[in-house]
Amino acid sequence: MQSAPSPEATPAPLPRRPRLLHRLLYGRNVDRGAKAKARVGLAIVAFAAVYAVIAVRLVALAVIPDPHGARRGAAQDAVATARPDIQDRNGEILATDVKAPSLFAEARKIVDVDEAVELLSATLPDIDAAEARERLVSKRGFVWLKREITPKQQLEVHRLGIPSLGFLDENKRVYPNGREVSHVIGHVNIDNQGIAGMERWLDTHGLAALHMAGLATDRLQRPVELALDVRVQHALRDELIVALDKFKAKATAGLVTDVRTGEIVAMVSVPDYDPNNPREALDPTRINRLTTGVYEMGSTFKALTLAMALDSGKVSLASTFDARVPLRFGKFDIHDFHPQNRVLTVPEIFTYSSNIGAARMALAVGVEQHKAFLRKLGQLDRLRTELPESAEPLLPKRWGELNTITIAFGHGLSVAPLQSVMAVGALVNGGRMIPPTFLKRSEEEARALAVQVIKPETSDKMRYLMRLNAEKGTATKADVKGYYVGGKTGTSDKIVGGRYSKTKVLTTFMAIMPADKPRYLLLIMVDEPQATADTHGFTTSGWNAVPVAGKVIARIAPILGLEPRFDLPPADKLILAAGKDAR
Amino acid sequence: MLRLVHVLVVAALVFAAADVYKIKFDSTLQAERVAKLRAEIRRERDLIASLRATWSELDNPERLQGLAQRHLALKPVETTQYDAFDKLPDRPPQVVPPRGDDPIAAIIGRGGDIATGSIPATARGR
Repeated sequence: MQSAPSPEATPAPLPRRPRLLHRLLYGRNVDRGAKAKARVGLAIVAFAAVYAVIAVRLVALAVIPDPHGARRGAAQDAVATARPDIQDRNGEILATDVKAPSLFAEARKIVDVDEAVELLSATLPDIDAAEARERLVSKRGFVWLKREITPKQQLEVHRLGIPSLGFLDENKRVYPNGREVSHVIGHVNIDNQGIAGMERWLDTHGLAALHMAGLATDRLQRPVELALDVRVQHALRDELIVALDKFKAKATAGLVTDVRTGEIVAMVSVPDYDPNNPREALDPTRINRLTTGVYEMGSTFKALTLAMALDSGKVSLASTFDARVPLRFGKFDIHDFHPQNRVLTVPEIFTYSSNIGAARMALAVGVEQHKAFLRKLGQLDRLRTELPESAEPLLPKRWGELNTITIAFGHGLSVAPLQSVMAVGALVNGGRMIPPTFLKRSEEEARALAVQVIKPETSDKMRYLMRLNAEKGTATKADVKGYYVGGKTGTSDKIVGGRYSKTKVLTTFMAIMPADKPRYLLLIMVDEPQATADTHGFTTSGWNAVPVAGKVIARIAPILGLEPRFDLPPADKLILAAGKDAR
Repeated sequence: MLRLVHVLVVAALVFAAADVYKIKFDSTLQAERVAKLRAEIRRERDLIASLRATWSELDNPERLQGLAQRHLALKPVETTQYDAFDKLPDRPPQVVPPRGDDPIAAIIGRGGDIATGSIPATARGR
């Protein structure tokens, strides 16, 4: 260091030899002190810059949340298949997720496949040993061995101590209300993907995309609220099961809808299935008859015919139609089930359910107008709701006068029962047709969707006719005191082997309550009821569907918040007179 | 001068290192706590979900109806048993019951200083 004195030292004249060395080393006339100072300055700047970078990074770390920390907890349920809860209109849970462990293996790392399979099949008796072995020898990185095991089984498998086995918490869909809501809710497959009912609807409305992106890990998704009321649903289902038993019917179905909003408050089709055991759903007798089946609705359709005739202005309530003799068309005779053999007025045609009268009325309006009216009421096109299941109506290939005659009383055109409910709802709620929905909907939203299909005056007349039917027509057995029920019955012969059967019938009943200002529409459908001692050998709607409806109404009306009113005047005073006053 | 700077810088360095270590240690602790709490919340939430599922299973109307039919002597409510609030009759006038079990005996037992049935001032003040 003799040749490099400290910078502070003044550049004293050096002896000759060191000066030469100095010049060789540093160049001529260089002030080493100044140079050293500059270098130290440079080092300070460099270090300051490094520290500044560190400081900035620290601030950034503090401000921007650490993405890895959030992921750390989620790592154990890598299978991101959470689904939102489904609730009924009062917040009762219809479907929810619970965590269930699933057993997987890293097949590549397994040591002794035979031992593992042996131990596993001893612990989990319902495991398929052959399949498990096949999966374990596959040498893949990840194979499922058993999905959704119980915590107890998890502990037992853990105790086996087989290396390379592991558990993943998976979301398992459970339906606490089981069968009660099966057809509406639908169900999911083992990967928690919706495959039927509202579950499928959830998937088609964004949930599937979330699953694909692996984002649906949390259960903080907003629950989906349905229009369904589980209490009404239960009461309806309970009565329908009793009816299924009592009339030894093939199936019974029922539906309650709010005619002001189109919300479906209850929908039951028995036999149904348990969504917790979706295998049952494959049985074709367990289909949802209200949306997936199409039926000739029988006399219930006369309500549509009468509404059309009244709305066209060609027919009034005082008009009369000749029902003295069967209506002859070509080689067909149209008979009445309760023949009166006289000239009938319009209300009589409705209450006696006269086929001849309805047919003549439809002919008076005309074939094209009949078709146009039914199309306007959505009876000729497939009705689509949130449910993926729907059925196309069966129309006649050529629609002539004979078709109009038969369709006037509900034969020759098969529609989904939900479809006819929508139409009858429009006939009684003031003429506004509202597409049915399973989701909650307010009256304002419904008003925006509604289409005026008939005049409000016609709707008044229809309500009058339906109430009249409960006062002295075929629907007297459903007239629960206090709720001012109105309704229209229907009995249609079923087609067996291409011919109308005399013994196999489908009976329906549409009830409105209260008839003067309808809020709810109830449909009861009994498929192939048998005559019992109680029904005096009859299988018509008035003896099975109607009394069932009566029982259902007595149970559900208080739940739906309908106030019983007694001592109301008969239909002609209350509905017709009030309708005229209002306008 | 520069020596002082050196000393200061070295001191700052040592202090910074200690501080950074402390922060790092704290943050690791905090992160662990966060992870633990998160796992706990997750577990709690799963538990709540399964409890809610159990609750609505127990709350299922079908089950309740079965239980009610088996254990209760109640009958379904009839339509006539419902009525509106505005149809309730007026509340009957409130009769204030006198103190004691037997009001007449109480009056007699109070002695002869009350000539009539009036209540003495002292009694009223109580």
